[in-house]
Amino acid sequence: MGEKVKSHSRRIMFSKQIYAAEAVKLAAYVFSDKADIKLASSAGGVEAEVSWEGKDCAVAGEFANEVLNQQCRLDLAVKNGKVANMIVTKALLSASGETVKKRGKQ
Amino acid sequence: MKEKISVSVSLKSYKADTIRYAAYAVSGGAYVLLGPGKKGEVEAAFEPKPNASAKYRAGLQKLFESELRDEKMRSEIADANRELREFMVLKALSAADDAGTQAGDYAGLTPAQEKELDALIAEVEREIKTETAGKERKDPLGITKTWEEKHGSEPFKNKNKK
Amino acid sequence: MAQNLLKIKTKNSVAQTNPPHFYWREVDGAYLISNDSGCHAWLDAAAFKRFSAGTLREKDKAFEELSSKGFIRDRLDFADLAAKWKSKNSHLSCGPGLHIFVMTLRCDHKCLYCQSGAISLSAKGADMKWPAAKKSVDFAFQTTAPGLTIEFQGGEPLLNWAVLKKTVSYARKKEKLSGKRLNLGLVSNFSRMTEGYARFLLENEVSLCTSLDGPADLHNRNRICSGGNAHVSVRKWLRYFTRRNTGQGAGYRIFKPSALLTVTKFSLGRAPEIIDEYAGLGLEDVFIRPLSPIGYAKNSWSAIGYTAADFVAFYKESLGYILKLNRKGAVIREKMAAMLLEKIIGFSDPGYLDMRCPCGAAVGQIAYNYNGDLYTCDEGRMAAWEGDDLFKIGNVFRDSYKKAVSCSTARSCVAASELHLQPACSRCAYSPYCGVCPVYNYEAQGSLWGNMPANERCAFMKGIFGILFSKLKNSKDREILQKWVKK
Repeated sequence: MGEKVKSHSRRIMFSKQIYAAEAVKLAAYVFSDKADIKLASSAGGVEAEVSWEGKDCAVAGEFANEVLNQQCRLDLAVKNGKVANMIVTKALLSASGETVKKRGKQ
Repeated sequence: MKEKISVSVSLKSYKADTIRYAAYAVSGGAYVLLGPGKKGEVEAAFEPKPNASAKYRAGLQKLFESELRDEKMRSEIADANRELREFMVLKALSAADDAGTQAGDYAGLTPAQEKELDALIAEVEREIKTETAGKERKDPLGITKTWEEKHGSEPFKNKNKK
Repeated sequence: MAQNLLKIKTKNSVAQTNPPHFYWREVDGAYLISNDSGCHAWLDAAAFKRFSAGTLREKDKAFEELSSKGFIRDRLDFADLAAKWKSKNSHLSCGPGLHIFVMTLRCDHKCLYCQSGAISLSAKGADMKWPAAKKSVDFAFQTTAPGLTIEFQGGEPLLNWAVLKKTVSYARKKEKLSGKRLNLGLVSNFSRMTEGYARFLLENEVSLCTSLDGPADLHNRNRICSGGNAHVSVRKWLRYFTRRNTGQGAGYRIFKPSALLTVTKFSLGRAPEIIDEYAGLGLEDVFIRPLSPIGYAKNSWSAIGYTAADFVAFYKESLGYILKLNRKGAVIREKMAAMLLEKIIGFSDPGYLDMRCPCGAAVGQIAYNYNGDLYTCDEGRMAAWEGDDLFKIGNVFRDSYKKAVSCSTARSCVAASELHLQPACSRCAYSPYCGVCPVYNYEAQGSLWGNMPANERCAFMKGIFGILFSKLKNSKDREILQKWVKK
């Protein structure tokens, strides 16, 4: 997965046609304790250099999957954000004792 | 050598987010990287995970293509019903709540109630103090004895018989 | 799979026979469909093709059923569907109902899978002191829920008897003054139980729960007791409380004791023996719980853990055996199945905090550590014990109720477990009945939202749902399962 740079390092290009830069950044944050990830923007998108200790060769592949996971979450937020926000707001307001009507929302 | 499977998908047939989700759906068994292919196409590169079975590897491309078709239909249904769905949830959430209460209703007690409660707590504390203080301890219920003091610790020897 | 495209042009010209929103899952050539209100139906491949293409007609065999269940767009009964949705999600209308008080971290057991961070009996400074306990009760009674449950846990809570007793008394008095409904529960290994303790607990209507992992050799292998044979105490006191429950008539309610099963690698292949142990003790519920990679279990996974496939196979065998016992007249049910079925066929909220959307973190339950620190749940408290305070939401001495339940951690967990924002869950036929656990996701996959295609918890929940829906298709099994709902 990606271009081999050194024994425990891979470079992966995330094309901006497919992946938002935000998705790559979110995934890098999730992987911050598993690997050292350097991100560089380019015309084509974001290049990630994934470096890690140990023999686990799955780290780069797992990182690529996490970027896809984050991208799919971003896609979904656009589609389902309204319904999700209604439910999340209701749950939090009910727990804290506020009501939706008090805040002037329907 | 790591096995790789590449599948080209036309953006005329499937939208980018459809392709992304279909690839995501099979990412439990494979590492996935999407990239631009030929003009108007996306190339999906799959690398089966080390523990993926031979059957899975053989069927991975078909699985992805099936997910593409499913996600296309799902996306169309979702788009056509988005407002209806939002209406239904809003209707359900807006119905009068008979279960919830205001936090302020039970946030505290009146001064008189607090005083009564403090008196009751002091009474319990006095009882416990009496039970535990002094040489002649009254413990008719054996509350202060631990399980070991009462029964001893018996090492497990045999299987428990019913 | 369906080759026909839906006849959809623009949203203003949608054909009325096209279906409203639904989820589906192919199972051995048939299709399970479900919707947000929690209705479900089975279609054969041909019927599914017509249904999804919007070409299903009134004369179709499936039409009437689909119509009554909210799958036919121009026959939607909005009031009924909204009512079903609301009932199934009634937890959205109130705050935390479950309040877990960790009375001490000390314990006389060393369970292989301990998630409570139990420490040795002689440890100092790990007991909940009275000021923290009193403050915790005051805090819990601020919930917006009309009723609450305070559940005493540990370590082994009986090791802190003096404060436990005082807390029970105080909570009961607070109940009378506040007008809120209070349930009290004790989760104990029973090794420290005495007649005196038992009498006090029963007089104060404290329900009792313990762990029972199966026959003695299995139970004792999983749950190592410093005082000797863990299994002996459990059997003794389960019998005692069951006798007292049968007796009643004391002027206060005596609840039937319950037990929890934690499945380890050693449990696999022994389902009938384990169920027989429960049935033999007269227990009416077996709650088959899988291991989570939290606490001790995380570090000893290779020794005691298993794959989702292994667990699902065990669950299938166990459920099959329990149904077989039911057919012979035994009164015993699988608790997780019963709770999920409440949603699937009961359209009601079973109060199962691990399996709801959003999850119960902070908004459904709160864990109170021995020192007054507050956590989203007991699993979140365990993560803190291991050094990560991500799931801490406050402290009873420093923070208000409102601040705790609306802090950024609470909001993050609620958002992360909202299934409409989960890529896999938002498309899954089981999502109207399911829920994710941000703590599990964080511990196993490094983030609150996790990554469901590779999530073992998702895999075993899918397995369990698959088994349940399959059983519901069998009329004899369905008859039994229906009795389990709202028992």
